[in-house]
Amino acid sequence: MSEIAAGEGDTKGALPPLSRFSDWSDRNFKWLLVAPAVLLILALSVYPLLFSLWVSFVNYDFQIPGHAFVGLKNFEQVIADPVARWSLVLTAILSAANVIIEFLLGLALALAMVRNFPGRGLAMSIIIVPLFISPVIVGQAWALLLQRPFGPTDYILSRIVGHDVTISWLTQSPWIYFSLILADVWQWTPFMFVILLAGLTAIPPNLYEAAELDGVNAWQAFWSITMPYLRPMILLAVTFRLLDTVKLFDTIFIMTGGGPGTKTYTASFYLYTVGFTQFHLSQATAGSWIFLVLTAAIVGLLVRRLLKAEPT
Amino acid sequence: MTTQAKTRRRRRRAVPIGRILLIGGFIVFVLAPLYWMFVTSIKPSDDYLAVPPVWFPSEPTSVHYTAALFAYRGLKGLINSLIISLSATVLSAFLGTLMAYSLARFNTGGAHLSFWVLSQRFLPPVAIVLPIFLIYRNIGLHDTHFGLIIAYTVFTLPVSVWMMFAYFRQMPRSMEDAALVDGCTRWQAFWQVAVPLAAPGIVAAAVFAFIACWTEFFFALVLTSRYAFTLPTVFRAFLGFQGAQYGEASALAIVSLVPSIVLGVLAQRHLVRGLTLGAVRG
Repeated sequence: MSEIAAGEGDTKGALPPLSRFSDWSDRNFKWLLVAPAVLLILALSVYPLLFSLWVSFVNYDFQIPGHAFVGLKNFEQVIADPVARWSLVLTAILSAANVIIEFLLGLALALAMVRNFPGRGLAMSIIIVPLFISPVIVGQAWALLLQRPFGPTDYILSRIVGHDVTISWLTQSPWIYFSLILADVWQWTPFMFVILLAGLTAIPPNLYEAAELDGVNAWQAFWSITMPYLRPMILLAVTFRLLDTVKLFDTIFIMTGGGPGTKTYTASFYLYTVGFTQFHLSQATAGSWIFLVLTAAIVGLLVRRLLKAEPT
Repeated sequence: MTTQAKTRRRRRRAVPIGRILLIGGFIVFVLAPLYWMFVTSIKPSDDYLAVPPVWFPSEPTSVHYTAALFAYRGLKGLINSLIISLSATVLSAFLGTLMAYSLARFNTGGAHLSFWVLSQRFLPPVAIVLPIFLIYRNIGLHDTHFGLIIAYTVFTLPVSVWMMFAYFRQMPRSMEDAALVDGCTRWQAFWQVAVPLAAPGIVAAAVFAFIACWTEFFFALVLTSRYAFTLPTVFRAFLGFQGAQYGEASALAIVSLVPSIVLGVLAQRHLVRGLTLGAVRG
């Protein structure tokens, strides 16, 4: 395309068909630029979604030729499945816990890092490292630390409390959730931190000076200056993190494999298992539509609030 | 009044210690798993079972690296990951540049088109990967490099477009206008003026696309099996053999950490814009 356009520059108007083409491409320039990306998204995102809508209403099976229409049966099967319902509850619990802990820790860290100190650049570089690591490796690393009896965690805890600690972090029921949250907090607190730090540095410092002259204490200044200014950034960080954490899959796959039993099935893990290890493709697609609609509803609410908060 | 002054004085003394503890503590928290993984990767196998744990092996070994790369096909995964991530990065940067420029300069499609592109970022992978898997199986793209490359291209496009959108929007259009007055076509003004000026933004977006592809697991898990598998999926081989393959898994993890951490720390300055998809003037 650009070669033709480049050739046109030398032979101004000499070749009518070429110049007509380049006129056309100049006139539709902006649409030609977006066309390839839009076509690719249509082919690999919109078309598969529509296709999956069809799959969720038929009985799609590799072994059986022809796909019989079964109506809402696939959806009913998912809704009737207690494991599916549990996976949604677990996804909600883990997401809430992850986002709340990451937010509080990220905010504390951003407040601590906002003023300059020697070594700040190096500290920044280290703190953001988890963002560049595959969640699979994060899961692997925490599994190594928490593994019983060889991992060092129980040993260190034993030393601290003075008696033997024998917690199976990766197989024992309440601790396993703690481990999954720990890995997620490790990976994503830096995300909150970076966004909140950007928000904090954007607050004009003279506001604090004025507040100090008025005799306002640090706590009041935090609530009446920092928080209102930070609000859009907080909403942004929380929205993005929530959008990602509901997809939680990789660390579960490596750390617990969904176990013990089905206790750590998140929505994504449940759908993956139904679709790709049991090969109930239609049921999994129906489930993924339910999941998609639920997430879209939450996303819609959050994004609308986000857009409202933007003009400040 | 005096109590207030007192609390303020106390806070001023207390805060730096709290800050140091918080920052230092978090740095230890970040480094601990990485350190333990590294140490595990160079420990002789006997040391895994030691209680108390071996904090630093007296006889470091590289056998796990060789085993992870060759016996567990880590090298094949590494090569596949490089091919797939690099190709997807180039494609995503190329298509993203075209689109971002159009959106930033001509407001193509108004807010709808840009919002639609961004919304792709929010689709849960499970919702999309199942139908892609079926389509790929039907048209023979399953377990091919090309299949994963275009999947990754689409999956990184929203972020690429939004990062570069922010970049192009900040660029003055006077240079391109001058080129157009000089008789350049729109295409020439784009390629010869706008793209070189936007090069830093394009590179930053490409770095993020590369890291996203390099660390991705779910698409690779579903869309590949024996042939086009990527490095993160090799870790499946270490599951289930509790204890035995710690060293190999750690060695492979260390190998695959290197490129993304190096690139990520280098592109640190562009981090905020990348993370917030250009929504923030950072």
